[in-house]
Amino acid sequence: MIDVVDAVKVYRRGASEVRALDGVSLSVPKGQFLSVMGSSGSGKSTMLNLLGALDVPTSGSVRIDGREISKLPDDDLSRFRRERLGFIFQFFNLLPTLSAIENVLLPALLSGKARDVEEPRARALLEQVGLKGRWHHRPDELSGGEMQRVAIARALLGEPSVLLADEPTGNLDSKTGAEVLRLIREATRQRQLTVVMVTHDPRAAEVGDRLVRLADGRVVGDETVRQAA
Amino acid sequence: MGALLRFVSLRHLFDGPLRTALTICGVAVGVATLVGISSINRSVMAAFRSTIDTVAGKADVSIAGTATGFPEALLEQARATPGVQHAAGTLTVVAPVKGSPGESLYVMGIDFLDDGYFRSYEGVDRDVGKLNDDLEFLNSTDRMLVSERFAKAHGLRTGQTFQLVTKDGVKDFVVHGLLKESGPVTAFGGSVGVMYFASAQEAFGRGRVFDRVDVKVDPAVGWEPVVGALRSRLGPGFEVDRPDSRGASVETMVRSFQLGLNLGSAVALLVGVFLVYNTVSISVLQRRREIGTLRALGATKASIRSLFGLEAVLLGALGSAIGVPFGLVVGRGAISWVSDTVSQLYVRVNPQDVELGAVEVAGGVALGVLGSLFAALRPAVIASSVQPVEALRRDVAVGAGAVQVRSWPTFLGVGLFALAWPATLIPPPVENLPIGGYLCIFFVLMGATLLSPLLLRHLNRPLAGPGQVLWGISGRLAADNFARAPVRTAVPVSALSVGVAMSITIAAFVGSFQRSAEDWIRQSIPADLFVTSSAKVAGVQNQPMADAVGDELERFEHVSAVDRVRVFPTDVLGLRVYVISLIPEVYERRGRPTVLEGTLPSPEARARGLVTISENFARRRNLSVGSTFPIITPTGVHTWTVGAVIVDYTSDQGTVIIERQHFVRQFKDDQVDSYHVYVDDPSKIEAVRQRITERFGKVFDLYVLSNVELRDEAMNLVGSAFKVTWAMEVVAVLLALLGIINTLLAAVLDRTREIGLLRAVGADRAHVLKLFAAEASFIGLTGGLMGVGVGAVVGYVLTKVVGVQATGWNFPYHFPFETAAQMLLVAIVASTLAGLYPARRASRLDVVEALAYE
Repeated sequence: MIDVVDAVKVYRRGASEVRALDGVSLSVPKGQFLSVMGSSGSGKSTMLNLLGALDVPTSGSVRIDGREISKLPDDDLSRFRRERLGFIFQFFNLLPTLSAIENVLLPALLSGKARDVEEPRARALLEQVGLKGRWHHRPDELSGGEMQRVAIARALLGEPSVLLADEPTGNLDSKTGAEVLRLIREATRQRQLTVVMVTHDPRAAEVGDRLVRLADGRVVGDETVRQAA
Repeated sequence: MGALLRFVSLRHLFDGPLRTALTICGVAVGVATLVGISSINRSVMAAFRSTIDTVAGKADVSIAGTATGFPEALLEQARATPGVQHAAGTLTVVAPVKGSPGESLYVMGIDFLDDGYFRSYEGVDRDVGKLNDDLEFLNSTDRMLVSERFAKAHGLRTGQTFQLVTKDGVKDFVVHGLLKESGPVTAFGGSVGVMYFASAQEAFGRGRVFDRVDVKVDPAVGWEPVVGALRSRLGPGFEVDRPDSRGASVETMVRSFQLGLNLGSAVALLVGVFLVYNTVSISVLQRRREIGTLRALGATKASIRSLFGLEAVLLGALGSAIGVPFGLVVGRGAISWVSDTVSQLYVRVNPQDVELGAVEVAGGVALGVLGSLFAALRPAVIASSVQPVEALRRDVAVGAGAVQVRSWPTFLGVGLFALAWPATLIPPPVENLPIGGYLCIFFVLMGATLLSPLLLRHLNRPLAGPGQVLWGISGRLAADNFARAPVRTAVPVSALSVGVAMSITIAAFVGSFQRSAEDWIRQSIPADLFVTSSAKVAGVQNQPMADAVGDELERFEHVSAVDRVRVFPTDVLGLRVYVISLIPEVYERRGRPTVLEGTLPSPEARARGLVTISENFARRRNLSVGSTFPIITPTGVHTWTVGAVIVDYTSDQGTVIIERQHFVRQFKDDQVDSYHVYVDDPSKIEAVRQRITERFGKVFDLYVLSNVELRDEAMNLVGSAFKVTWAMEVVAVLLALLGIINTLLAAVLDRTREIGLLRAVGADRAHVLKLFAAEASFIGLTGGLMGVGVGAVVGYVLTKVVGVQATGWNFPYHFPFETAAQMLLVAIVASTLAGLYPARRASRLDVVEALAYE
């Protein structure tokens, strides 16, 4: 469950101020797959940063699972991310020196969990995303689609309550992109995960339950996907 | 090009002010060390020369004998030689100053009437020209003109008294007037006194002798025929030469001292070059897209190369501009550190006399700039190979320089290693200039540097485990990152390893030498007490004592034997050898000299002219048992035959041991530099020492050292000769740490996105901090280990090749385990500390900005 109330985010660029988010209020119930669309500069990345506890709002509040995160100190934000959130990025952001399974295990290892305890789960997740037998491959030995699958497995390992995806298909061809979206959809439905996905691609947005459109830092549209289609 | 430099390079340099400052600072320190050392070398040489040159004045030819001088009558013989216009005799005495240990006064005994043709003296409070009529001055044996510098240093004014140590004991002298510091009064670091020659002969118990006769030649005749005439008239016991040719062997003499200094400053410069290389390579890696854009916009390969070359030249020039004046400070600071040692071993030098000449300034700037340019060559070539298309690529793999086994650095590295040993076989082209040994050291250092990326690439696995245990996942990731950009990581690792290696090298050499010297003293001269005047160790600084002291010492209760040792420096086969005269019956019975060749000559053999020589003299002049060599003595040239070669560490120039009775007869010198006293009851040593001090302490400026104290003193002397070299290794290690900061700052920039990702998936600041701190500690560990390995090899080469070629001494090599352990610890701790700042910067990156970073 995500609750955003009147969130404002102001960036300073030299002498001028940019209101990246200008009083956004949004509520995402548990298990909903929310797609966010908007042109460049609409504020969608800023919103994802706030929901992902990567940043805090200038004013307003952001509650995830009832926890107000806008006032948390940095290290608490780190722990919150580690324990409650999963991320998928456009550029996969895998560590090049780690193998597939190690990349998946990374959040657990950061939490200080024992590798041998977590590894069977990591293997199971990799198997689920279709990477059985490719556990020890490094990112440079994987295709774009495969890298994004590793990223999905990594996002799911910590059993987060919210999954955040930033243009997860932006760097993939349309066939692979559709495959990756299907994976995200399936995996999150099984787990009753709340998903917030930012995308440019209208077809990608259709995968979700609900579509919010942003422009100039405000919500300009909020509809169920069937309506949008 | 100017526009490119201004818009692209300068902005880049200003954008990373810390990194630019670190690099400039590195070059400055390297240049300062180099300039400082060359100014020290210059002033040590100048100190040697000034005593020869300034004292020689306007002489065309000078005649010198041995350290005991030659009879006055020789002056008349010289005057009567055709072509000689004027001749003046001089007596010179180096007299220790009572009450200020280590300090001596250079006293010249002259005849003002004759001397005026050669030298001019300027009085401060007295007209020197009128001294010829000054009966008080001429008729007293204690009146002396002293330099203003000496007077000032001792708070003396005209009419006041000071004390000098002579062979007959401490004597009072009266300041008759002050001399301005010019001409001959600048000799010996300006610590000069002038007496009437007859007064000096009397005061210092030298008899009616001169040490030098200066000759002015009739220009119509020319100096060559006059030299020939003088040589044939005076016979072979004298050196008749142009004054300037006498300084020629000075280089040979100080070369072993300079060996350590030159090595140290070269290493500091080398590490400085590493730092520039580091900065420029990082800059190339980070600016690949920028370079690609420039190329896409039409910049040629050549202009990219020039751009990076110019950038390095700029850094080098700025570094040199700071480094050169700083070098003077370094030189002055360092010389005051070593001046005691230099004075004890060779000649007196003053810190104030260290000056920067045009050569040092030009050399410093040239090396700073050219070194930087040289360092930039490879990165500049790499930069020019960047393709324009790279400008369009996102996420260009920055810093991930792949290491190929089959690449030119590997081949070159292996090749250099292979050439290292053959290089040591190159014979020294000049006396004790071990070019081959130096080359070998350079090959080993460069070979290790070139091969280090290959080594580092394979270290992630062995380091991952310990990293994980010590630092958790951060340690594991650090091990990966460490091996990820081996080419870049190799630079700080190599720089650190060079610093560590050279510290270990010096420790190995000094330690091996000290150990051998200590064994030598313990075994060869096991006397219970050593009695010297004015200096703790007999050599350049002490004042010889009268022979009669020995007779008295022998009558002391519990004294079982006394060896009378004279340490007499004289030129033999072009080396400033110490002729040691002693009593073989005491020396051989009490001590156990280590004989390397032959047998110690019997009394009969000694009477036939057989002597014992030191191994270093034998090696340097290719002498073995049965070889003969001449020594000029006051009684003519005598030829000696080598009877035995032994281990002896008295002088790096070599020693010849002659039985005292033969020495006294032939050198007409019965003084004693050091009495070696053997006590029959060990429990009475302290009592005997006290009685000697009571009896002679007031008369002489006496030192009575026990065997242990003498050994300590010798160890200190060796240790302090390398003090400056040590300091330079510390500088090298500090420079290497700057390199580590530099590299890690660059790594933070390169991996900003990655840090953002780690933070996004839940890493907190401590994780990131540990990640970079761990990487820094790995750099320290590998640099330290590599340094220890390379240091063991280079230390061996320095001891067994360079040392043997430079000094002729071949002592056993001992690896300095303690220093190695210390340096390893220092390398790890210091590197980790150096990594803290970059680590802090990394941990404080804003997550959102880091993720968006390109």
